[in-house]
Amino acid sequence: MTASTRVEDARCERPDLGPVLAVDGLQTHFVTKRGTVEAVRGVGFALDPGERLAIVGESGSGKSALALSILGLIEPPGKVVAGTVRLAGQNIEHLPDRAMQRIRGRRIALIYQDAMQALDPVKTIGSQLGEALRLHGGALSRKAARRRAIELLREVEVPKAAQRVDSYPHEYSGGMRQRVVIAMALANEPDVLIADEPTTALDVTTQAQVLGLLDRLVAERRTAVILITHNLALVAEFCDTIAVMYAGRLVEQTSTERLFAAPQHPYAQALLAAMLRSDRLETGPLPSIPGSPPDLVALPTGCAFRARCHVGRSLADCAAIDPPLAAVREEGRVACHHPSEART
Amino acid sequence: MRSSLRFFAMRLAGALSAVLGASIISFVVLRAVPSDPARLILGPHADADQVRALSRSLGLAQSLPEQYWHYISAFVQGDWGYSFTAGASVRSIILSRAGATVELALISFAWAFSAAVVLALLVTYRSRPLLDRIARGVAFAGLGLPQFWLGLLLLLVFSHTLGVFPGPEGRISPSINPPASVSGLYTIDTLLALQPATFFDALWHLALPSFCLSFFSFGFLFRLLRSSLLEMGREPFLLVVRGKGMSRWAAFSRHALPNSFLPTLTASALVFADLLGGSVLVETVFDWPGLGQFVVQSIQRLDYSVVQAFILLSAVAYVVVNLVIDGLYGILDPRIRLGRAQ
Repeated sequence: MTASTRVEDARCERPDLGPVLAVDGLQTHFVTKRGTVEAVRGVGFALDPGERLAIVGESGSGKSALALSILGLIEPPGKVVAGTVRLAGQNIEHLPDRAMQRIRGRRIALIYQDAMQALDPVKTIGSQLGEALRLHGGALSRKAARRRAIELLREVEVPKAAQRVDSYPHEYSGGMRQRVVIAMALANEPDVLIADEPTTALDVTTQAQVLGLLDRLVAERRTAVILITHNLALVAEFCDTIAVMYAGRLVEQTSTERLFAAPQHPYAQALLAAMLRSDRLETGPLPSIPGSPPDLVALPTGCAFRARCHVGRSLADCAAIDPPLAAVREEGRVACHHPSEART
Repeated sequence: MRSSLRFFAMRLAGALSAVLGASIISFVVLRAVPSDPARLILGPHADADQVRALSRSLGLAQSLPEQYWHYISAFVQGDWGYSFTAGASVRSIILSRAGATVELALISFAWAFSAAVVLALLVTYRSRPLLDRIARGVAFAGLGLPQFWLGLLLLLVFSHTLGVFPGPEGRISPSINPPASVSGLYTIDTLLALQPATFFDALWHLALPSFCLSFFSFGFLFRLLRSSLLEMGREPFLLVVRGKGMSRWAAFSRHALPNSFLPTLTASALVFADLLGGSVLVETVFDWPGLGQFVVQSIQRLDYSVVQAFILLSAVAYVVVNLVIDGLYGILDPRIRLGRAQ
């Protein structure tokens, strides 16, 4: 028995011993003509069975690159250059693609951000759901896969599932397509679900419905979820813990309540301040974070947020040393030399 | 079922009106050319009475709509007019020459299409910078090089200098009798007549002209398919498919390829229809007894019953090829099929 098959068969063997997914020191680089883009710069976190972790950050902060790095789907010119990804204790980072194919979709599944583009336009919904089942279902027949696909559609509350199974994606609305994508991801009862902006392409009402559905399904299965988003309102409802990502690094990681109550990192504070809330609508310009994220090809020395930070902009230690993600007063971890000082 | 029948009927009506339009335009334009066919037929020494008499018997004294009606009703019945320069009916000449052009077109298209598909797959499935550069260079050359020049170059190198391929002697060696005509395509007729030696001779004669002719089509199709595959490779649904646990190759061949074939299909139809019309320059360089050569001679001699028939037949060929492609689209792309049905 090879190492890779042991990893795949290890599911449910030690359910309560440690995290289901543990990422450590993950670094992903993209080689471009301009230079090396450091998209993920040493990210580490652990995910317990059934836990829901949000990774929030603005566009280009490396959230999606992180998700693809975990799944082993980074393609050239990109490359995971360092770090480990442990699934139930086994490092899957250096597995060959053949072994990863048996993990993807079965033990770690992906919900892609844009429901409108996540499905093959020339294949029926049923065949695409069936494909997800048959890839991991051993000798599952087409007929059986179709029956199971109808059940899955019912489960994600697609009306008239028995007829709609033979429809094509363009005959589904955006919300219905996202339900299909969710059904596809959960088809093989994965241990970990990576949901990359699962509701961005949907209108607000549909967002709430789809999120409610996802909430119920992962709760029933005790699936651990990594929710990647820039929408803080979504996180507040859905997740237990939050990791704030900035310029390829996690800058703050703590429980959802603590982050909303008392953010420690100046960037997290600024993010929350920029969040629009109906209970405190103000007049005047919308709050925003001055400046723009640093160029990931030519990162400054020291803290990457320094140029936009009103605490550390002119401080010597912020300019010299990039602060590591460290525990702060048992309230999670923060990567800042001067946490919490920026509160005004 | 009824809706797909209606869809087909509408496509057919559209196709027929396109052919009708082409026939009217060719008819009117050729009538507008300042020449007197009767005078051309009889020669400069005939007197005016003779010319007038022939004019009347040719129907040229009638009004244009009357003339058009006679022309089009005769055409549908298989009477495509008489070529006074060749001294034979247009239909018999076109039919006798169509085989050469169609055979060349088929082989050239097969060359161009298969080379484009294979190379586009090779350079997009995995990053192969060197091969990509070479293939793109070849495609660029194919689009840019004048075909007659390429044909002459091929003859010079492979026939004259190296002697591996025959020179410009048409479809078959002069010393060999052509096969009995069944389909008009020598490669098929020789096989039907069980003449392997003649078959290979015909194939050998096809090599250079078909390569020369396919070069342009290859460049066109390769560039289209390559860019469409590259674009498809960035489609989110491919990532989703990979996330389901599918291998890279399976994702590529089962999801990217069928999707990127769709735009290529239309282009292929146009390329093929264009090849069917025959290439004057390539046919001339290789002394290929096809339609292109004959039509140009007819234009130069103002033999307009030939030109008229050729334009109409080209229109029919285009329309038929496009109808077939429309049908294929309906099968391959559910967005079109069901979009109409709803």
